[in-house]
Amino acid sequence: MESVRALDALFRPSSIAVIGASRTPGKIGHEILKNLVEYGYRGRIYPVNPKADEILGLRCYHSVSEIPGTVDLGVVSIPARYVLDAIDDLGEKGARAVAVISSGFSEVGERELEEELVRRAHERGMRVLGPNIFGVVYTPARMNATFGPTKVLPGSIAFVTQSGALGIALMGWTITERIGLSAVVSVGNKSDIEDSDLLLWLSEDEDTDVILVYMEGVKEGRRFMEVARRVTPRKPVIVLKAGRSARGSMAASSHTGSLAGMDAVYESVFRQTGILRAYSVEQAFDWARAFASRRVPRGTRTVIVTNGGGAGVLATDAAELSGLDLLDPPEDLKETFRSYMPPFGSPKNPVDLTGQAAEPEFEGAVRAALEHESVDNVIVLYCETAVTDPEGIARAVLRAAEGTDKPIAVMLMGGERSERAADLLNSRGIPAFPTPERAVGAVAAMVEWWKRTKNL
Amino acid sequence: MPKGREIIQGAISEGRKVLLEPEAKALIADYGIPVTRVKVAKTEEEAVQFAREIGLPVVLKIVSPDVLHKSDVGGVKVNLKTEEEVRRAYREIIESVKSKVPNARIVGVLIQEFAPAGVEVIIGLIKDPQFGPTVMFGLGGVFVEVFRDVSFRVAPLTERDAEEMISEIKGRKLLEGYRGMEPVDKKALVDALVKVGQIGVENPEIKEMDLNPVMAYPSGLKVVDARVILG
Repeated sequence: MESVRALDALFRPSSIAVIGASRTPGKIGHEILKNLVEYGYRGRIYPVNPKADEILGLRCYHSVSEIPGTVDLGVVSIPARYVLDAIDDLGEKGARAVAVISSGFSEVGERELEEELVRRAHERGMRVLGPNIFGVVYTPARMNATFGPTKVLPGSIAFVTQSGALGIALMGWTITERIGLSAVVSVGNKSDIEDSDLLLWLSEDEDTDVILVYMEGVKEGRRFMEVARRVTPRKPVIVLKAGRSARGSMAASSHTGSLAGMDAVYESVFRQTGILRAYSVEQAFDWARAFASRRVPRGTRTVIVTNGGGAGVLATDAAELSGLDLLDPPEDLKETFRSYMPPFGSPKNPVDLTGQAAEPEFEGAVRAALEHESVDNVIVLYCETAVTDPEGIARAVLRAAEGTDKPIAVMLMGGERSERAADLLNSRGIPAFPTPERAVGAVAAMVEWWKRTKNL
Repeated sequence: MPKGREIIQGAISEGRKVLLEPEAKALIADYGIPVTRVKVAKTEEEAVQFAREIGLPVVLKIVSPDVLHKSDVGGVKVNLKTEEEVRRAYREIIESVKSKVPNARIVGVLIQEFAPAGVEVIIGLIKDPQFGPTVMFGLGGVFVEVFRDVSFRVAPLTERDAEEMISEIKGRKLLEGYRGMEPVDKKALVDALVKVGQIGVENPEIKEMDLNPVMAYPSGLKVVDARVILG
């Protein structure tokens, strides 16, 4: 457990030294410092650069040893050949974690240099993130120690990425998509800190509800499985796994050997450990947003409430393909549904309120479904009409969803007004999407997590 | 030391990477997975005697560390119903292997109980470089070769893992009784899958293993052929 707590210095450091801080905008050592300052990190920041006296209004130190007092976290962005000295210096200052931004290690064949880096860091009581990374963000501490986008939105999704470029791009994407993050961790070469360590720390982090990992491969497979099995029942883990196994090219002399060349083994590892595997970036973040709603799946019985037949049928198809059970509503519930629709509506599942449905109808039907004991999940579909206001419908759903923690996802399909209404729902913790399949997918992911983890 | 360990270490000490079929079957049987009865005959007379002991009909197969694909070299004869057929098959197998693989070391000829037809399945084991021993399950023949309709679980397996593996197969209907056939004994399959996982965990020297085919019956199952590769 000691090693897990050592990651405290990575996420909640009391002070940060930026080794390789630069005066030149556009340089990595400048952007990291700028992000730290602009994002509002409240601990002490010590830029280190032998040739500068002041950068971005902060006093700059010529060497780590010049820094008064101790350093908690070192962020190192200098050429690879100087990194070992920086590790020694940080050790002297009592640092407990170091994020090595620099590249030029095992990714270019310099395996020994990387091993020496880890050996020295461990000798001096430090854990190593990287090398070959873009940094780390932890929004509860207002810390953005990356050279990625600055204004990461605070939220409860932790995002761990093995890819640098993709990771930075997705950071920017979460901002435009208004997805809130608790952490962004670039793991790079995973020389020391790897997925398992991060899962353990993040699973105990109160500011994180769900962990999303972009992964090309794990390092210690058995340990990863053991850790994931412990973490997933408490906190959902979504993996976006890329790259086919290298085993495909390995000569196999049995049927089993040749068939295992597919990444089927990873697939089974995820099933056995309660991890959810997403197949696209959009899907991964859709699911993460659903879990961030803090609603609790307890079963598969699902009701779809819609104002249009077409969307209802599409959602029904998607639901049945993804393991949700469309409940045939019991008589009392049907009776309630009937009171919110004209005679030509349908109280069966999907519950069709018809195009006439306005705020009171949506609110009443959605509330009735959520409150009924035979219903586990509710999916709301709204196709924009000229006679209704999407934002009003969104507010109706918000009111209906109060007082229950059952999973709910909303589709609002239409123009700009629907988009704004979806933003409103998302900002209030109800996942909302522009297509029926995505709304169904979000609920199905929550139910799948419940299925996979309830017996772990 | 359990019998299975002895067999594996024996092969390693002889510098062999592949277990002979009777060795592979003994290893599997040691874990309580039902296999067809086998005996290795060194002479034609022994072949007849063992065939009588096991009970006709029988199957004859060449046993040689130098022959991996037995049928390709005329090393397999099936459904032998009389002692005369056994004699002839013995001679033909030895002649054919000697002419097709001149320097093959011939240990003898395997006399094997003829397993009645059931639903053919394959159970496999591989050592995954990341996750270690991993069990595979699939339906035999065209299903595994063309459709790659298989499922995996990393060992050790729980019974629930094994049940999920079986239900993940697209062709699972063939196991559940199809066109008037009785469903196969799912418990026996679950048991075999869990035990194969155990073989993998307890024998890290095994690189790959195929139990193929395995005949699944309404009651029980039987491993008809087994291949174990070390390394």
